[in-house]
Amino acid sequence: MKMTLRIASALILLSLIIAGCATPATQAPAATQAPAAVTEQPAATQPPAQPTTGEQKKLVVWWWGEQEAPGAQKWMDETIAQYQQAHPDIKIEAVLQSTDTLVPAFQSAAAAKQGPDIQYFWGGVWTLENAWNNALIPLDDLIPADERAHYINNFERAYDGKQWGIGWYLSGNPMVFNPALFTKAGLDPKNPPKTWEELKAACTKLNAVGVTPISGGLKDGWFGGWLFSILARQTHDSEKEFMQASVGNTPFTDPKFAAWWGALKELQDAGCWNKDINSLDYQQGQDMFVQGKSAMIFGNDTFLKGWADTMGGWDKMDVMMVPKYGQGKMADQYITTAQGWGITSWSKYPKEAADFLMFMHTTDRLKAWFDYTGVLPADNRLDANAIANPILKQIFTWDTTVAGANLENFIPSMLDEQSNFAGSQLLFSGDKTPAELAQMAEDVAAKWRTQSPDQVQNFQNWLK
Amino acid sequence: MRFRRIEPWLYLAPALITILLVFGYPIVRLTILSLQRTSGGVARFAGLTNYQFLFKDDVFLQAIRNNLTLLICVPIMVVVALVLAVFLFERIRGWKFYRTTLFLPYLLPIAVVGLIFSYIFQLSGVLNDFLNHIGMGWLALDWLGSTKYALPTLMFVIIWKEVGFGIVLFLARLMSVEEELFDAAKIDGANWWQLQWYITVPQLSTVIEFFTVVSVITMLSWVFNYVYVMTGGGPGNSTMVTELYVYLQGFRYNQMNTASAVSMLLLLVTGIFIFLELRLRGQSGSAEAFE
Repeated sequence: MKMTLRIASALILLSLIIAGCATPATQAPAATQAPAAVTEQPAATQPPAQPTTGEQKKLVVWWWGEQEAPGAQKWMDETIAQYQQAHPDIKIEAVLQSTDTLVPAFQSAAAAKQGPDIQYFWGGVWTLENAWNNALIPLDDLIPADERAHYINNFERAYDGKQWGIGWYLSGNPMVFNPALFTKAGLDPKNPPKTWEELKAACTKLNAVGVTPISGGLKDGWFGGWLFSILARQTHDSEKEFMQASVGNTPFTDPKFAAWWGALKELQDAGCWNKDINSLDYQQGQDMFVQGKSAMIFGNDTFLKGWADTMGGWDKMDVMMVPKYGQGKMADQYITTAQGWGITSWSKYPKEAADFLMFMHTTDRLKAWFDYTGVLPADNRLDANAIANPILKQIFTWDTTVAGANLENFIPSMLDEQSNFAGSQLLFSGDKTPAELAQMAEDVAAKWRTQSPDQVQNFQNWLK
Repeated sequence: MRFRRIEPWLYLAPALITILLVFGYPIVRLTILSLQRTSGGVARFAGLTNYQFLFKDDVFLQAIRNNLTLLICVPIMVVVALVLAVFLFERIRGWKFYRTTLFLPYLLPIAVVGLIFSYIFQLSGVLNDFLNHIGMGWLALDWLGSTKYALPTLMFVIIWKEVGFGIVLFLARLMSVEEELFDAAKIDGANWWQLQWYITVPQLSTVIEFFTVVSVITMLSWVFNYVYVMTGGGPGNSTMVTELYVYLQGFRYNQMNTASAVSMLLLLVTGIFIFLELRLRGQSGSAEAFE
């Protein structure tokens, strides 16, 4: 009897362990179509799994919250509520991600093929890397072409003739300045600097009255990437030139590519920047402008409404195109990227996810987005008459007439981090010269090519 | 009879399976990943390619150098913790207050400590303001923004935070040392230094060994939070450490295989130190038993 009890208890224990370790019975994710990247995985042919009628469908959205657009949370809550009301069988859960977890969390989800149905993405390589890893599906069959035609900056997410995501709102980089501080320094706020020489002269005048000319923060690195995107473009005609250099067709030591380091150094030598730029992070550098401690900032137009609220009104600032030092076509462009969405390859409800994305682009939702955030949506159906503010009107004009790509979206992330982020810090700390930094960029690009031959191939395909 | 032989294994099974799942599986998976290259979501065997890449990557080599530099913190921490523990053991005036105060930094979350010290050490931060105020402006340096000072500044913060653990360890051991040992030495005419050198330090040797090994492991593979919050590895990779390198490779550059290779190396190095610690403990255990 004692022996039987022992055997029974041991067996029960064992079966409990086995049961506990077993994979829960779930529906296998639908196979999806892979991009024609460097992959041997066969392109899937099966359509997405269709749930049975009457089933409660749950869509999980991972997004970036109000990081760039205060008011976005209210809009998202309202949009979800309206969509759920119109589609009682669908429940949408929006999960917030911070800047630091946005990419890692999705990488982990992609590795496990479990996670959100809809993911927020920055444009270009930030989206396409996930398409190359089979974490995204193309949206061409889910969102009609005539609908997609309204979306601005769709080219950032196009690869292999397919659309791997869609835009949501526009994020551009004007140079923002404080008219009162300009006046204090004897500068004309109606006629801000247009050339590099004028900018340096303005720095001298601002310094003379004890005002920091331009503020920034490089400690967390991101602003180094911005500087690259804002300045390096001026000697180039197209973002493709940077893709060419990345894959090794042109060296980054070429004077055209090295020029921006020199231009940045000139600004440093002219005393244009806050001296503590290396010990502040981006947000702190930005705060200096908002607090009226600096006269100019390489800003982001998604922040403008928030700054206006904090600074006490839109009249406390104005915008200008970044002064020119180069003669490339991109020097005359306004940098814009569309922050957007993608649908994951493991989503059980891709059709419903696409429908929700289209709902975000209905005219009512576009207007609500602009009203709540003061940020321009990536859709040309926004009624231009709704933009009463002259600064935002100016941004909208640039967006629709002289918009150009954000270069950070068209280079490998390793190059951005190890060359632009680190290089800007080294320039300001006085450890490296512009020529050495150009060589550093070339070395990092060469290292990336060695480490990631498949990514190089993907970039080459992307260039076609 | 046969059941009797397997019976213990059945009872051990839950623990064994848990250990295998929690430790064994990730290590095996990590090893496999480190020997693969992934292309278009498909992983292929790549031998030691990832490891070869690492030793050609200047950023990785810089990270290794920085981790090794951080080891300088270990003897400093041991000595500081030892001295403070001795003072507390001697019950200097207000010792209870000091005991709590000195241990407090160890209880604070690293992110909070990092954030506070980031503000203190900014070029226009509290420390430099104070130095300027007292006429020592020449000492107001760009503590976190200069490639020369960022790592030493980071080391200072790590020591400030981690030393409390050593103090508590040493103090706890000192309190269990028999008073007679000190009394006998005093009767024999030992002065303060001789008491510490011939009684305190030998009595603390096992705890010092333990604290040293734990601190070495901390410096090699447990400083990510400090670096991430205070410098992000900059300026210009001057504070890059292997853990941050793993994070960047895996989650920023999408190179999970390279990240796995670095993790394997980290595991190997920390494994060696854990083994050393166990050996030392085993030896001192046998010595004590022999005595």
